[in-house]
Parts: sequence; structure tokens; C-alpha cells
Amino acid sequence: MNLRHVAITLAKELREALRDRRTLAIMILLPLVVYPLLSLLAAQVATGRDKQREQRPSTVAVVGADMADDALAARIRQNTTLFVLLPAGTAADIESGQLDALVERDSRDAAKLTLVYDASRDESRVAEERLGDLVAKGLPDGCAPSLTAERRSIAPQARVGGYLLSKALPLFVVLMVLLGAFYPAIDVTAGERERGTLETVLCSPIRRFDLMFGKVLAVATLAALTGVLNLASMAITLMQILRLAAAQSAVPDVPWGHALAASLVIFPAALLFAAAFVALGATARTLKEAQTLLLPVYFLTVAPAMAGAIGEYRLGGIAAWIPGMNVTLLARDLMVGRVHWSGGLSALLSTLIFAVAALAIAARIYDSERFMVPAPRRQLHAGGAARNTTAGDALTLFGLAFLLLYFVFLPIERHHLAAGLLTAEWIGLLGLVALFARVSGQGFAKVVGLARPTGRALLGAALVGCGAWAAVAVLSEWLLPVPREMLEQLRRSLVPLDGSRGFAGTLLLVAVSPAICEEALFRGPILRGLRTRLDAVAAAAITGLLFGLFHLDVYRLIPTAILGVLLGWIALECGSIIPSMLAHFCNNAILIALVRSRLDQRMESLGHRAITFIVLASLALTSVGLVLVRASRREREM
Amino acid sequence: MPEPLAVLDSASKSFGTVSAVVELSLSIRGGEIYGLLGPNGAGKTTALRMLAGLLAPTSGRATLAGHDAKTALAKTKLGYLSGSTGLFGRLTPREMLDYFGQIHGLSRREIRERAEVLARALALDAIFDRRCEILSTGERQRVSIARAVLHDPAVLILDEPTSGLDVLASRFMRDFILGERARGKAILFSTHYLAEADLLCDRIGFLHYGHLLREGTPAAIRTSLGANTLEEAFLNLAEARGDPA
Repeated sequence: MNLRHVAITLAKELREALRDRRTLAIMILLPLVVYPLLSLLAAQVATGRDKQREQRPSTVAVVGADMADDALAARIRQNTTLFVLLPAGTAADIESGQLDALVERDSRDAAKLTLVYDASRDESRVAEERLGDLVAKGLPDGCAPSLTAERRSIAPQARVGGYLLSKALPLFVVLMVLLGAFYPAIDVTAGERERGTLETVLCSPIRRFDLMFGKVLAVATLAALTGVLNLASMAITLMQILRLAAAQSAVPDVPWGHALAASLVIFPAALLFAAAFVALGATARTLKEAQTLLLPVYFLTVAPAMAGAIGEYRLGGIAAWIPGMNVTLLARDLMVGRVHWSGGLSALLSTLIFAVAALAIAARIYDSERFMVPAPRRQLHAGGAARNTTAGDALTLFGLAFLLLYFVFLPIERHHLAAGLLTAEWIGLLGLVALFARVSGQGFAKVVGLARPTGRALLGAALVGCGAWAAVAVLSEWLLPVPREMLEQLRRSLVPLDGSRGFAGTLLLVAVSPAICEEALFRGPILRGLRTRLDAVAAAAITGLLFGLFHLDVYRLIPTAILGVLLGWIALECGSIIPSMLAHFCNNAILIALVRSRLDQRMESLGHRAITFIVLASLALTSVGLVLVRASRREREM
Repeated sequence: MPEPLAVLDSASKSFGTVSAVVELSLSIRGGEIYGLLGPNGAGKTTALRMLAGLLAPTSGRATLAGHDAKTALAKTKLGYLSGSTGLFGRLTPREMLDYFGQIHGLSRREIRERAEVLARALALDAIFDRRCEILSTGERQRVSIARAVLHDPAVLILDEPTSGLDVLASRFMRDFILGERARGKAILFSTHYLAEADLLCDRIGFLHYGHLLREGTPAAIRTSLGANTLEEAFLNLAEARGDPA
């Protein structure tokens, strides 16, 4: 072996690989951003679930003893935060969900009791655990004899098997369907384009929609097959593991009927993922580019699916309409054999609606000339010539800003909130934009879109900033209510109880700094970079989503993302970043004023009529603002 | 005189701010070979793609056998051969011809009969059931030809068909083009091998930066530009315009 040749080859390959920005994005930036982000969101969902569990008292009953004299019943009755004691109950009540658990006293032996519960239901398991703790702690001194408790689950072994499988399988199945769609979608779109076969097919008398639909069905078939095979294989494997683990105790059975029913979610999910991936893959010119485009979507779908698997959410309302989460929850419910049909139908219907929407987008892309348009030559900026911000730059900047925030500034914030926030904003965000402007040779003003706005644009942006917060807050509270403790924590971070920060300090920290620095990054190079590849609505929407994710708080994701979309739209319509900065400042300043004057707490106690009035006023103000912003564009174009 | 089968009528194509083809007009009749010549980036492929219905002209018209080139009817009259050969690597030539034959609305029997004829004519018998990904460049090109002419189209568009081929394969391709002309096909092909065009073409058009600089028979163009070869003629033309060739 010639070590020198090995070293030369190693150096050349590394140089080539590291010059490929897509390789860098996939290998380094994406995992560094995605894993912390996913784990953070998962932790928040799990915390929310635990708090929800803690807050819900278990409905129990004690039978076989005189309730009035029974000491255990008295202790249960006293503990009102954990229990609601019903005067009577049966196993059938547990089965129907009216009761979480039942304590059966032995009429012959006062020291013996049986805890009856449903091992295939979370609430019942929690009740059994709580009652078990209560019994284990024993009764107060002088209340002998001590108690011994047996446990009896009323759930058949197949249903317990279904319950156990429902904890892990739905997420894995959704992930496998996603993965099953991923590479075939890339192959039939970007792969075909790269191999040069697409051109010959498009010269044939085949309608582009037919071609696209055939491809989507092929990808969906492969994805569904992957899902079904994985479901069957994992069900058997998991059951074998459980049997080994529970060698002496009752062995849960594989609920094949339920597993088969759960596999039904695979098909609509496969169609949705296939259509979305084919639509996205069709915009890519090469296999590598398709991978770069599809990976973020893959992870974005994984996040809600994971939240659905961890969060123990009920399948209904908004949860039934979130792609990824809805099918995970439906598979879970089908697995345990408890499906609320309205939620189940909503999940299936929404998945099909999204699939049709993705098909329509794919059809539009296939009908356009995107395939045949030559790749734009990369503009080199040697010799000091400037280049424009690209979509790749936008995503790279987001990744870098996220890394800085997560690994550098968040640890500072934990030690000193104000110092951490200020350095994150002015160095992490604005500094990053300034550095990018310098490296790309464009100049700061061009990178952020600094231009003189019209008076209408400023007035419109100010109205949106002053008006949108109420409607956004009510909408996000309806979609994903913030736990009270987290709301208090947010209030305290805005306005410290000890009065250590004055109004001016808070304004600088929470309104001025984000308005300048966050806007400079998000509505600057990120929005402008994405705009080079997407239309205005899509660019504003994705920037808004990234803006929401950047706040690292699952409960603030929806309001910040909506605000981000509005700010993005303002920046694009006005052709300047200054109006979006003004709107951002107004929004945050109003929130500070509300918290300082405790008006936000008073609003919580307002009736429906007052809330409706506030929302309507907010919508009216925002609409007028948006109309003015739109008018400013026409004024600018004239 | 027969009606032209392939027509570009003042067709222009822009990509953003870049004009790839500017007001290009040309027409090709049955039994005629038209060579579109020019250096890389001249706009040859864009012009061919407009005629093949892959790109819509920004202005002007592209028609095949009297039909708008984008329509399915026009595409039934078209055989298109791209420089990249465009074969499905995981299919055999037989499976591929079957797929394209079905798209063109041929019956199973018609496909089988045509495939047998083409296999004999293009010496594909030995490779007809091998996957395309393991075929040599020359074999791939022959399969591509079979795919392009399977439905017996009236118009053939060939985008740099001899690019990357060895001497024997290039010769085979030239013979094929001449044979198709004899069968009354209208043939438009692009190349930057000017000597090849001189040998094959009834008429040629010089394309440069999207503009058609000159059109005529090879002999007439050589004479009018005082050149012995087409290459010399093209260089003279570019020089006269003050463009780098």
C-alpha cells in the first residue's frame, strides 16, 4: 500500500466533499439542528403530558366495605387532587371508561383488597398506580391491620397486547412509511431527470398529470408495502420481547385484528407522503438536490408524529388535522380498539385532503417547465463582485443561527437571562447577518432589504403589529392551550416580579432587540433567499415556520409562526425590512404593556362576548393594516 | 411542394432575463435533413425542445405536422433522440419498447412486430433481453433509435446524436439518418461537428447566441462566406459580427 497515495486521495475527496454545500448540510448542519430541536420539542410535549396527567384526578370507587367507616375510602376522599371517589362502581364501569379503577375489599379478610383496573387504558393504569401508592404507604398509626393489595386487570390479553404495541408501533409505522416513500420518490423524479429519461417520456403523447399520478401511485405502493411489512414484523418481534420479559406473568397476545385495522392508516399516509415527496422531488435537478429538499420535510413530518406518540393526545380537534400526528394517533387508537369515529374520520379525511392538495401541487409542477429549465449557473463572486442570497444560503443561515442559539446563547441565558438574550440577538443574529453580508460581498443593506418605505407601508405595518396579537393569541390558545405554569413562566421572563428590570430595559430586551435583530435575519436573507426558489406565499410561510421553530417552545410555535408569516408578507409587499421591524416592535411592545399592567390576566376572566369583540377588533385592525401594506406595493410599483 | 412537417415561426425563448433563442424561424419538409449548428450555448437544444413540445415558446409558434408542438397529437408524429440516450437502466430494451409502444397507443401485436423489425435492422437481437444499464454506449444508442422510431413518426428530432460515439457508432448513426430521409421523414438534428453536417444535411442553420445567423445548403453557405469548410464559414461569420466564436 502506498500511504502517500492514500493520503493524497483522502485529501482530494475531503476537499471535494466539503466544497459541496449540500453534503455539508446533510452531514453536519441538519443533524446538529434537527436532533436538538426534536428532542427539545419532545421534552416539552412529555412535560405537558405529565402535567396533564397530574392535573387529572382519577375516578375510583371502593366496594365490599362500608364506605362511611372504611379508612381507605376516607383517605381517598380526603385526597381531592388525586381522586374523585364515587359511591359505587363495577368492572363494567371501568370497561366503559366511567370509572378509572375499583378497590374491592375482601369481606372475609379486612387486610386484603384487590385493585381492579384496565391495563389497556392510560387513565386506568395511573389510577391503579395512585391507589397502589396509597395502599403501600399504609394507614396512619393505630389503623392496623396493614393492607395487602392484589391487582387485576379486566382487559383481555389481546387488548393489553394492543395497548403495549400502541406505545411504539404507530410511530415506527409512520416513520417506515415515510422512509418507504423517501427514496423511491427521489428516484422517480430527480433520478429520472438526472438519468435523462424524463425528457424522452415527456416527448411522448402522455399527459403530464397521468405521468405524475402514475409515479405517485408507484411511490405510495412501495411506501405502503414498507409500512405493512414493518408493522407485521415489528408486531411479532415486540411480542416476542414482551413474552421473554414477562416469562412468569400473563403473556399479552398479538391483537391481529387490531393490527390489521391499524394498518389501514398506512394507505392514506402513504398516498400523502408519496404525493408530497414527488411534488418536492420534481423541483430538484439532481438526486443530491432532491435529498436536500426532502430531508427537512421528512423531519418536519417526524416531529408531529413523535409528538403524537409521546403526547397521549386525544384524536380530535386540531390533532386530527396535523399531518403525521393524526395518523399516528389513529393507528394508536385502532391498535387498542378504541376509536372515536369522529376523530378517526377527521384524521382520514384530512390526510386525504392533504394528499389531494399535494397531488394538485405536484400536477402544477409537472405541468410547468421546471424540468426543462437549465440549472442556473452559480454566480461566482471572485474579484469582489457580489452575488445574490440563495435558498441554500437561507437554510444555512437558519442552521447556523440555531446552532449558535442552542449551544452558545441558551447556556448564557440560563445563567443570566438578559445578558443571554441581548448577546443572542445582537451577536448571534445581527452579527451573523453582518458577517454573511461581508462574506457574500453584497453589503448589509442589500442582504436585509433595507429600503426607504412609504408612509402607507409604515402605517399598515404598525396597525398589523398593534392589532394581530389578540386574534393570534386566541387562535393559538384554541389550537394548543398553554399550560398555566408555562404561561406564568413566560410572564415572569417578560416582566420580573422583583422589579429588577424597568420598562425601558424590558422594551430594549423584548421589543427593540427582536424587532431589529430577528427581522434582520428572518425577513432579511432567510426570506429573500427562499424567495428566489419559491413564490411569495410559500417563502413567507416557510420563513414563518422557521421563525416559530427558532423560539424553541412548542406552545409558542403557532403564534410566532403566524406572526412570522405576517411579518414576511409585510416585508415582501413593502420591499423593505423597516415595516416588518416596526410591526414586530409594536407586537412585542403591546405584549409587554399588557403583562406590566396585568391586563392579560384580566382578559382571562372575560366572557365570550368580550373576547369575541376583542378578536373582531383585532381582525379589523389587522385587515386595514394589510390593505394599506398592499396599497403601498402598488404605490411603489407606479 | 409538400407542406413543412416541422415549423418554428418567429419562436423566442427566455429563461428569466436570459434570451436563449430569439425570433427563430425554420421549416423542414418530409425527406429533408436540416442541421442546426452552433457552438455550446448557442440555443440549439432550446430550439429543439420547443419543437419537441418540451418548452413553450415565450413568443412565436412551434408546430409539428400542423399541430401545436405541445399537444399529444403532435407528439404522436415525433421521434425524439436526446444526447443522453435516455434509457431506463433497470428495464430491458424489449420492456422499454413495450412501455413506449403502449404510450403511443400501439397494440401488443403491433409493438411485437415493430420491435422484431427494429431488432433485426439495428442488430439488437443479442441484447434485447439484457438490462439497459449494462449495455455499451453504441448499444444504448441503437436502443434509443429503436425507441424513437418505434411508432414510425413523420418527424425526427435528434439532439447531438453522435456526441460521444466512436467511429463505427457514428457511422451507423449517419447511415440511419440517411435511411430515414429516404423513407420520407423530416429530420432536424443539432450538432457541433460541422464536417458531419456538411456530409448529411440538405440545409443548415447557423445559430449563435440564440440568433439564426445564416441558413441555406452547405454549399451555398460556404460559397457565400468564401470558405472551404463549414467550420471556416462559421468562424468568418462570427468574426464579421465581432463575436467571439
